This record gives sequence, structure tokens and C-alpha cells, in this order.
Amino acid sequence: MTEKSNISITELSKELRNAISKLETTGNLDEVGVVLRVGDGVAWVRGLRNAGFNEVLQIETTEGIVEAFALNLMEDEIGAVLLGEDSKVKAGQTVRLKGSVLSVPVGPELLGRVVDPLGRAIDGGPAIKTKQQGLVEREAIGVMGRKSVHEPLMTGISAIDVMFPIGRGQRELIIGDRQTGKTALAIDTMINQGKQKTGVVNVYVAIGQKRSKIARLVERLKQEGVMDQTIIVATSPADPASLLYLAPYAATAMGEYFRDNSQHALMIYDDLTKHAVAYRQMSLLLRRPPGREAYPGDVFYLHSRLLERSAKLSDDLGAGSLTALPIIETQAGDISAYIPTNVISITDGQIFLETDLFYQGIRPAISAGLSVSRVGGAAQSSAIKSVSGGLKLGLSQFRELASFAQFGSDLDEATKSQIERGQRLTELLKQHQYNPMSVWQQVASILSVTKGYFDKVPATKIKAAQAAMITRLWADHKTDMTELDKGGKPTEEILKSIEATATSTAKGFEG
Amino acid sequence: MAKLSRRAIAQYATDQITSGADTKQLVLQLAAYLVDTRRTRELSLIVRDIQFYLSEAGSVSGVITTASQLTAETKSAIEKYIKQQTGATTVALDSFIDPSVIGGVKVSIPGQELDATVSRSLTILKTRFKKA
Repeated sequence: MTEKSNISITELSKELRNAISKLETTGNLDEVGVVLRVGDGVAWVRGLRNAGFNEVLQIETTEGIVEAFALNLMEDEIGAVLLGEDSKVKAGQTVRLKGSVLSVPVGPELLGRVVDPLGRAIDGGPAIKTKQQGLVEREAIGVMGRKSVHEPLMTGISAIDVMFPIGRGQRELIIGDRQTGKTALAIDTMINQGKQKTGVVNVYVAIGQKRSKIARLVERLKQEGVMDQTIIVATSPADPASLLYLAPYAATAMGEYFRDNSQHALMIYDDLTKHAVAYRQMSLLLRRPPGREAYPGDVFYLHSRLLERSAKLSDDLGAGSLTALPIIETQAGDISAYIPTNVISITDGQIFLETDLFYQGIRPAISAGLSVSRVGGAAQSSAIKSVSGGLKLGLSQFRELASFAQFGSDLDEATKSQIERGQRLTELLKQHQYNPMSVWQQVASILSVTKGYFDKVPATKIKAAQAAMITRLWADHKTDMTELDKGGKPTEEILKSIEATATSTAKGFEG
Repeated sequence: MAKLSRRAIAQYATDQITSGADTKQLVLQLAAYLVDTRRTRELSLIVRDIQFYLSEAGSVSGVITTASQLTAETKSAIEKYIKQQTGATTVALDSFIDPSVIGGVKVSIPGQELDATVSRSLTILKTRFKKA
């Protein structure tokens, strides 16, 4: 016991000596300001005439230094948003300039960790020490530093990969009401990066999410073996609005490290609706004039400057990429509200999830008519492209026609067959959560329906037939399927193998 | 009439003082303006701003805070240092004893501060240990 306490005292003494030696005793006159008033996470400061926008301020309280960042630079005072507890900050306290804008630790040391928007570990693990820092607010890469999106980012969800393909460097919005599976889509995409060994780093930003939900997510990602290539930046509803506001920017800085080092990263912003609300709260407290729905005038810029940082870099810059999947929650399916329309116009497409489809059991509940991917087509692999032609249109038409199907049998044969195939396709595109599919599985499944191999299989048995066919294909044609998985256009031989297996499998499920 | 900023009021007052205008008249003028515009609450802030502009004009006034009484020699050395640092022509520093600073010295002049007190070092240490 005595020995143990001796050791800790020695260590403490060593640390103290080290800390004391590092204390700045420059003896220079520092520019200082004074806290005029404070409340609701915002401090108003007089002085500091050289403070810059977004510059970090240090408020000296009796409990230590509390940091804030300057957002309102006015003639007589500065409005600064506190990054710590406002209960410690009092009027009259001295404020100094830190001499830097906000930055966070970046690098591979963050992989597998859960951090707050300032890069501090909140997973109970050791403190994170990185070699580099990244600027929280950074200008997006210019035109010449970019390349058009051309590599696929496979989500493992066939409905997306086939109909609304996403490319590396693209911004694809996931939009829908609450409880429609938005987060589930994003998580499956993250899991797929691990399962398919794509090497894409996942950065998941939880904006104002319950801590219990984050804990469950971490547990799941660990189970799936993806946590090692994932960084989670988490904020809870109990955190100040300033941290919720900073979270996506800080996480993007972490993702940019991989992009700038010739790697590929996937950003998931869950969700930007809460982010806009946090920014609205801050703006109103900073007394900025409210606009539509009380959001400030620069709420569009808030998201456009964030999402513009996602890019596919040119070969000269290392050809890395940062793909973004922002999430937006709608109210009663209204995609024409202020924030949804803003983000729809910023992104390169959206995946719209419908409540009705979700409750009909069509999961993922992707609306074929309202979803679109504006640039992903160029990034679709040849294998997927060979089976995706006309699928989206066919499915949209089927969902229109489906409403007529209930009115009886006086439909012509062509319409009936379109409806039947649509029903089979709808069943086929249903997918369980945490079960992303590889390229060959998607190609074989889609072919089995679009080529009519499963035409005699009733819609209720389609999923079972699909599972059986996939198992048989892997058992009998492993080499062909491995080749197909590389993404090249399927050869005649591969197509014949799929046809033969699908046809023979279908016989067991007829009637 | 648009509301004048504190800065503009302080700048006007400083210009008047440095140009040798009647200070009594200036005080009356300022007081009347603040009462008329219901801004008497901002008085102390305006005075600080005037101090700031006066220091920019070469006339620095400030406060030295220590835990114990300063010798005349040390005080004059500090004044000399401030003159050197700010390029001011006149420096007037009031001494103030505050045992809570524990040791060292703190010199506050308008908009700037030199804090070499033990209490500040302890605050910095406290913050570093919290972060670690």
C-alpha cells in the first residue's frame, strides 16, 4: 500500500514539474477582453479588437480556462459561443485570444474510437494523441483539385446499388420521416465497407443522439467487425448547442485526413435537421435576425460549406475521396420544407424513404419515384450496370399500376405481367438489416427476376428462392462468382451459370 | 438619429481631450447625451473605451496588482517597461494590493494585460490537468 502511494506521488511530482516547466512566462503584454454578460451558452465580450471570426477565446474562470469561439464580431462587443459549462463563466472575467481557430486531432489514431466534437475520447479509453490537427472550418477543394466521381461506393443494399448508385466523392441525401430506416441504411453502408473489405473509413456523426443509441451502435459495429475502420463523433441532447453545431465540421476534418492521404472515407451526418436546429438556437441567442421558420439567413451556407468538402480528388492530389451521406428528417413526408429543400439542392441526389412502404413491410422503404442519384451512374460497376437498365422505371410504373391491381381482373395481359414482375422485384429488393449484399449476389438476384427465371415463383416465396439460389451459386460456381464480384461485365459463361442455377432453383419454389 | 456606437462616442471624447478642449464642458456634454439616449448604464464601458483610445494616443493609465506592497523602484521599472512596450509618452499606474494573486505581478492597461501572477499559473495548471 505504502509502495503504491509512493509511486503515485513520484509520478504526480514528475508530472507537476513537467507542467510547471511548460508554463509560459513570456512577460509579454497580451491583448485582453472582459466578459460583459453570459447566458444560455453565449458570452458577450468587450475588447479583443484583433479577434478573428471563429477564433478561439480563453475565458479565465476560477475553475480553470473555459474556451469559446467568436461568432459575432460587432463594433463594441464580441458574441462568443462557449465550448464548456457556462455556469463557471461570470461577468468581469478576463478573456484572452488563443491565437488559433478551432482545430481537432486527426489521423489513424482515431479509428475505432468514440470522440466528442473536440476530439476528446468519450468511450472510456485512453486519451487520444495524434500527430496532426485538422481545421474544423476549412475551405472546400477547388475545381482543379477535383475529378469527376467514377468509382462506386457500394452500400450493399441492392435497391440503392442498382437503382440509385452512389460514387466515391458523391453527396447523397437520405431523407424521410422518423422511424423509416434512415439510420439503418447508413449503418448497413458502414457495415458493407467492412464486409466487402473496401478499405473505406467510416466517420459517423451523431448530432444530438441519445447516448444509449450510440452505445448500441458501437456494440453492433464491433460485432460486425467494422469498428476498427470507424470513427464516431458523438453529441448527446445534453450537450451545449455549440458542440452539436461543431460536430459535423469536426468530423469532416477527421474524414479529410484520409481523403488527403489518398484514402477513401465515408461521412454519415445523422442528422442535419438537428444540426440546423442547434444552429438556429445559437443564432437566436446571438441575436441574429430570424428568417423563415426562425432559421438565420445563412442556414443554407451552413450546410453547403459542409457538404462541399466532400469530393473526389484529382490524381495530382492523391485521388482520395470523401463521400457524404447526410440524413434529414421530414415531418409527415413533407420534402418541401425549408431545410429538406436546402439540402436536396446541395446534394447530388436523394434516397427518399416512405412511411407507407415501411409499414407495408417493404424495407428498405425506398421510394423509386422520388429518389435519384445524379452522378452515381457514372460510378456504377459494369456488373451492376448490366442488370440495372430500366429497373427504376419499371418499379416506379409498377407502384403506379399496383393501385389498379386491387380493382379486379379486367386488366390486359401486358399490365398483369408487369404487375406480377413488379411484385416479384419488390419482394426481391426487400433486405434485412445488417445484411448487405455483395456485387455478385445483387447481379444474380436481379437477373433471376428481370430475365424471367423466377416467373413461376410466387412473390411470397421469392426471398426463399433467392437465398437458395445464392447458396447454390456459391457452392457450384465460386470461381465465376468471385470473378463477377470484381465488378466487370458478366461473361456469357457466368450468365449461363446464373440462368441454369436460377431456373433449377425456381422449380423447387413453384406454385 | 442612429444610435452611436460606444466606440464612436469614446473616439469623439478622446479627440476632444487630446485637442485640449474644456474637459468640464466635455463631461457635461457626454452626460447630457447619455441621459438623453438612456445609455447611462454604458458609462463605465465608455470610460474604459476612452482610456483605450487615450492609450493609443500615447497616454497610458493602468493598474498594477500584487500580493504585497511594491517598492518605488519596482514600480518605476514596471512603468519604464510599459512605456517601452506601448510606445506611450506618459504612463500612470495605480498600485493595488490583492492577496488572492498569491505572488508575482499583474499589470492591466487598457486592452492589454501582463499577468505573471502565481494565481494565473495555478489556473493554467488546473486546466491542463483537467484536460489530461
